[in-house]
Amino acid sequence: MEDFFVGVDIGSLTAKVVLVDAQGQALAWAVDRSGYSGRDVAQRLTQEILEEKGIKVEQIKVTVATGYGRVTYPAEREVSEITCQAKGIAHFFPGARTVIDIGGQDSKVIKVLPGGKVIDFAMNDKCAAGTGRFLEVMAGALEVSLEEVGALAVKAEEHKAISSFCTVFAESEVISHVSAGALKPDILAGVCDSVAARVSALVERVGLEPDVVFTGGVAKNAGVAKALSEQIGYPLLIPENPQITAALGAALLAWGMG
Amino acid sequence: MVEGKKYRQFRVNKHLKRLMAKHYALGRYQRYWGRPLHRKLAWITSGAPVELLRAFKIYSVYPEQYGAICSTAKATEKLCQAAEAAGYSQDLCSYARSHIGSILRPDLAPMQGLPKPDLLVACNNICGTVLKWYEALAHLLKVPLLVLDTPYLPGELTEHAHQYVLEQLQNMVRQLENLTGRKLDMQDLKRQMARSAEMTKFWREIRELAQAHPSPLNGPDLFIQMAPIVAVRGSQEGIDYYRKLKAETEERVRRGEGAILEEKTRLVWDNIAIWPKLFNFTKMFTERGACFVTDTYSGGWAAELASGDPLESLAATYTNIFLNRSPEFRARQMIELVEAYEADGFVMHSNRSCKPYSLVQEVIRRRVMEKTGVPGLMVEADMADPRAYAEESVRTRVEAFLETLQAL
Repeated sequence: MEDFFVGVDIGSLTAKVVLVDAQGQALAWAVDRSGYSGRDVAQRLTQEILEEKGIKVEQIKVTVATGYGRVTYPAEREVSEITCQAKGIAHFFPGARTVIDIGGQDSKVIKVLPGGKVIDFAMNDKCAAGTGRFLEVMAGALEVSLEEVGALAVKAEEHKAISSFCTVFAESEVISHVSAGALKPDILAGVCDSVAARVSALVERVGLEPDVVFTGGVAKNAGVAKALSEQIGYPLLIPENPQITAALGAALLAWGMG
Repeated sequence: MVEGKKYRQFRVNKHLKRLMAKHYALGRYQRYWGRPLHRKLAWITSGAPVELLRAFKIYSVYPEQYGAICSTAKATEKLCQAAEAAGYSQDLCSYARSHIGSILRPDLAPMQGLPKPDLLVACNNICGTVLKWYEALAHLLKVPLLVLDTPYLPGELTEHAHQYVLEQLQNMVRQLENLTGRKLDMQDLKRQMARSAEMTKFWREIRELAQAHPSPLNGPDLFIQMAPIVAVRGSQEGIDYYRKLKAETEERVRRGEGAILEEKTRLVWDNIAIWPKLFNFTKMFTERGACFVTDTYSGGWAAELASGDPLESLAATYTNIFLNRSPEFRARQMIELVEAYEADGFVMHSNRSCKPYSLVQEVIRRRVMEKTGVPGLMVEADMADPRAYAEESVRTRVEAFLETLQAL
C-alpha cells in the first residue's frame, strides 16, 4: 500500500488541506472557511480528499499541522506557518528570497535561503491593519464581496486615501468617502494602498531581496498586488493557488519526515 | 526540583523571599520606626543615586519595582484602568499608570500601595516619562520632588555633561540637608558607595557564571534575582544574599547543572521582562530546550561604579546608564553578550510601555544580526499590562524563530 502525507493549515479565516504522494507530488487540495471549528473543517476536508482519491486513513503516514489551529489538530507535528510557507514557496519558486504572505489575521514577510530555509521574518503587530480581515471589513462597508475587491480596485481612476491603520477608524473613513460621493473602485484602491503600505514597512524591516513572491489569500487580490508591487518597486511572483502554499509546505515537511 | 517542571529552583530563593519581604515591611512600618529616628522615606526611580539618599539615612522604595510586583500579582489591569479613568492615557508607561492607579485605588493594590513618601527623587537616565510621572506624584501627594537631569550621551561622557550632573548633585546635597536636617557625611557616603560597588560586583560575577555550558541561569532567574540589586542596592543584607546566590550558582556550574533540563539553544534577552506572562512566555522556550543565558535588562545593574571622589563618581556612573546611550553603544553591548555567552540567537521584547528601550531595537537587531550572524526575534508585548499581549501571535513568532535555530 502506498504512503501518503498531509499538510493542514488552519488559518483564522480559512482551513486548507493538501495531500502529497510518496514521491512528494501534490495530488489534491481543498479549502473552506474555518468557521467555528477550524479543526472539524480541516478533518472534513481531509476525509473528502481521501474519499475522492480512494485512499484509506491508514495510508496517511505523517500529518503536519500549521496555522492558528495547529495546536488543536491531531497531527504528528505542529510547525509554524512561517517555516511551512517558506517550504511551500521554495517548491514553486526556487529563486524566491523574499516571501510576502498576507492572510486573514497576519501579514508576514519572510526572508529565505535556497531550499526554503528561513533566515529572518517580520510580522504585523497586534492589529488587523495590513491583513485580509481589514480588507474584509472594508469590503463589507462597501457591500462588495471580498473576491470582487481586487478587480474593482484596479479600475480606479483616482485613489481615495485611507489614512487610519485602525480598522474601525478606517471603516468610518470609507463611509465618509461614500457619503462624499466617491466611487467604489476609487475607495477600494485606497484600501488596497493602505494594506500595501503597512506590509511594505514589514518588507523594509527584513530587507528586500528578489525574487519576491506574494502569497496567502490576499495574493488573489489584484488591487493589493498592484499597490504592493508599485510600493516596493519589484515585480511580484504569485503562485497559481496562493491560499494553499503553507499547507503544501506542511505536507512537504510531512513527506520529508516520513 | 519539582517533578514535571523543566527548570531548577534555587535553594537560596527562601532567603530572597525573606529579604524582599523585610524590605517592604520596613517601608510599610517606616512611619513607626523612621519618625522617631528622623529618617525620611523616599520614592525613587530605578536609576537614581540611592547611595546619596542612604548617606542621608533616607529609606528608599522603588515604584518601578512595585509596578512589576503589581503585574506578577495580576493587579495591573485594574490599576491601569483606574488611572485611565482618571485621564492618564493608555499610551503611557504601564508602571506609571499602575502606580498612579495604586494611589487612586489602594483597595485594588498589592500591600494597599506603597507607604506614603516624604520626598520623591527622579533621575531621567532611564527615560523621560519619570519626570512627568513624578511631577504627577508630587502634585497628588504634595511632597517635594528632586530631579537629576542626565543628558543623553550620543558618544562618550563629555566633561561638560559630567560637570552639569555633578553640579546638580551638589545642589541635591544642599536640598537633602535642608529636608533632613542632617549634614552630608562624606565618609558615610564613601561607605555606602563601597557597599554598592561590592554588591554590584557580586551581581556581575553571578551573571558571568552563565557563560558556562549549560547555563546555570535562565531569564526568569535573572529577573527574579535582580530584585535585591534594584531595591536594596548598597545594603549589607543584599551583599550577604548575593554571596549565597553566587555560591549556589558556582555549585551548579561545577556539577554541570543547567537552569533548564536540556539546554539546546542559548539566547540573549533584550528589554524588561514580560512580567504578567513571565513563566508562561518562558515556557515556550524551555519546552524546546532554549535558555536565556543573559540579558541587557538585569545587566543594567551590573555596571561598575566610576572612579573619582564620591559625587564625581555618582555623576559619571548614573549618566553612563546604558539606556541613556546611543544605539551604537547598545548594539555593541548586544554583540559582546552574544559573543561572550556563545549565544545562538537573541530575542527582543518590543515593550509598548518603554519607549527609550524599544524605539531603536529594529536598528540594533539588524546590526547585531549582521555582525554576529545569529538571528534575532522581535516580540511585541508590554512589561506590565497584560492587555498588550497576544498569546497566539507571540507563539507563532517564537515557534518559527526556534524552528530556524533547531533542526525540525
